[in-house]
Amino acid sequence: MSPRSWLAFVVVALAVAPLVLPSFFLQLLTEIAIVGLFATAFNLLMGFGGMVSFGHAAYFALGAYTAALLVKRVGVPLLAALPAAPLVAAAGALLFGFFIVRLSHTYFAMLSLAFAQIVFTVIFKWKALTGGDDGLLDVWPPSLLKSPAAYYYFTLIIVGLCILALHAIVDSPFGYALKAVRENPRRARYIGIDVRRHQLAAFVISGAFSGVAGGLFAFYNGSVFPDFAYFTKSFEPLVVALLGGVQSFFGPLAGAFGFKILEWMISRQWPVYWPLFLGAIVVVVIVVLPSGFVGLVGGRRWRRRPAAKA
Amino acid sequence: MSGLSVGMLLFLVSVGMSLIFGVTRIVNLAHGAFYMVGAYLMVTLVEFLPDRPWAFWLALLLAPVGVAVLGGVIEVGLLRLIYRRDPLMQLILTFGLILVIGTLVLLVWGPDNKSVPRPEALAGSVKIFGQPFPSYYVLVLVLAPLVAVALWLLFYRTRWGMLVRAATVDREMLGALGVNVAALYTQVFVFGSWLAGFGGALAAPTVAVALGMDGDVLTTAFVVVVIGGLGSFAGSFIGALLVGLLQSFGILIFPAVSIVLLFALMAVVLIVRPWGLFGRPEA
Repeated sequence: MSPRSWLAFVVVALAVAPLVLPSFFLQLLTEIAIVGLFATAFNLLMGFGGMVSFGHAAYFALGAYTAALLVKRVGVPLLAALPAAPLVAAAGALLFGFFIVRLSHTYFAMLSLAFAQIVFTVIFKWKALTGGDDGLLDVWPPSLLKSPAAYYYFTLIIVGLCILALHAIVDSPFGYALKAVRENPRRARYIGIDVRRHQLAAFVISGAFSGVAGGLFAFYNGSVFPDFAYFTKSFEPLVVALLGGVQSFFGPLAGAFGFKILEWMISRQWPVYWPLFLGAIVVVVIVVLPSGFVGLVGGRRWRRRPAAKA
Repeated sequence: MSGLSVGMLLFLVSVGMSLIFGVTRIVNLAHGAFYMVGAYLMVTLVEFLPDRPWAFWLALLLAPVGVAVLGGVIEVGLLRLIYRRDPLMQLILTFGLILVIGTLVLLVWGPDNKSVPRPEALAGSVKIFGQPFPSYYVLVLVLAPLVAVALWLLFYRTRWGMLVRAATVDREMLGALGVNVAALYTQVFVFGSWLAGFGGALAAPTVAVALGMDGDVLTTAFVVVVIGGLGSFAGSFIGALLVGLLQSFGILIFPAVSIVLLFALMAVVLIVRPWGLFGRPEA
C-alpha cells in the first residue's frame, strides 16, 4: 500500500472506532493520540533539529496547568482555555529556549533539564496557586464532551490538526533549513541561515505543541499533578520517539501506539514491573535497534547520517 | 556544619560521576541508582551480620564493593557496546538503567523505608563551638576528606592516575600510545561505581533509605558536576561544598525556593561557562 492509502486506512479506522470499541479502548486511543502529539512535537527538535531536550515535560505541564487553572480558578470554558495552553507553553519555551539553544549536545540536554526542574519545583511549592503535591482535581470538560467517545473525537480532531500543522512546518522551507542546521551548522551559517534563530523557533514551536498535548491531557485525566513536569515525564516523548523511530515524521505516532498498548498489556498483569520493562525496552532498542521499530519496516525518507562521534 | 557533611557525601557521589564522564564521556544517569543500591546493601549487611561493633565497619567496606561489581557488569555487558554511538543514546541508555535498577530494588527490598542504626560509638553527639553536633557527621567530615586526599594521591601520584588524567584529555592518543583503553574504561567505571556505593553506604545512617533517593541524589550530584565542571576533580569538591552549604542555608532562609536556587545557580553557570567553573570547554 502507498503511504497515502495507509493514511486513509488509519483515518477511517480511527473514525469508526467508537462504533465498535468499548469505552475503555477509546480512552486508551485518546491517550495514544495525546502522547503521539507530544512525541511528534518533541521529535521536531530531536529528529529534525538534532536537538535533544531532556526537559520537555516543562512545556507539557505548562500547557496542562494553564488549561486547568483557567477552567478551575477563572471559570473560563474549555474551548477558551485550551488555546491558552500552547501560548503559555510557547512563552515558557521562548524564555528558556533563548538560553538553551546557545549550548549544544549534552549541555543543551542538561540545561533543558535544569529549567524543567525549576518548573517542577515552582509547581510543587506554589501551593496557593497550583495545589502543590495534591494537584488540581475535577478538571473535567463540559458535559457535551464528557463521554469517552465525544472527548475521543474532540482529541482526534485537535491532534489531527496539530499533526497536519507540524507536517506542513517540516515540509516548509523552514523545515529544510532546520534539517540543514542539524546536518551541518557551520555550513548552514555560511549559506546565510541564522542558526540560533532557527533552533529557537523550532524550540518554541515544539514547546507550543507540547502545551496543546498537556492541555488535552489535563481534561482527559480530569486532574493535573506536579509529576507532569518531573524529569521522568520528560523521557516519555523521548522513549516514544525512539521506539517509533526518530528519522520519520510518523515514527513517534507509531511509537505512541506501540508504547501505550505495551504499557496497558504489561501493567494490567504486573503493574509493578512496568518500569522494569520500559527500562529494558529502552536498553534493548538502543543497543539492538538504533532506528526504532519503524526503522525495521523502512521509513527511508528522512534518513539521516550517523551522528558525528563525540 | 551539617551543610558541610551533606556536601562531603555529595562529593563522593559526584566525583565518581565526574570521573566516569571525564574518561568515558558518558553522563551516567544511573549514578544515583548506584548510590541507592549502596545504601540498601548497607541495610541488608547490617541486618545480616552479627550484632558486634565491627559489623558496621565491615558492612561499610562490603556494600560499596557490591555496587562496584554491579557497575562492572553494566559496563562490560552494555556500555561497552555503545561507546561509539551518539552521546545522547548513551544518556538515554543510562536512564533506562535507572528504571530497571529502581524496580529491582523495589522487588528485592520492598516499598517500605528502611533505616540503618548508627554504630554505638557514634550514636551520640559532640559539642562544637557550643552547638551539639551528631558524632556520626564528624565521621563523615573526617572520612570524606580522607577519601578526597587519597583520590588526589591516586590521580596525581600513581601511574594509573596519570593514565586516567591522560584519558580525559585525549583518549585516541592514549590508545595510539599502546594503553589498553577499553580496560581503563572498565576500571574507571567500576571505581566510579564504588565511590557512589561508598557515598550511599556512608549516607545510609543519616537518611531514610527509600525508593526515590536515587532521583534526589542524582539531580543534586548533577548540579554539582555541572557547576564544578564535568570531568574535573577539584570542581566536584568545590561544587559539592557549595551545593551542600547552599542547600542547608537555603532551607533555613528560603525553605520554599532552596531547590529553585540550586537549579538557578546551575542554569547561570551553564549559560556563562557551560563547561563549569573548573572544567574544560568542549573540544
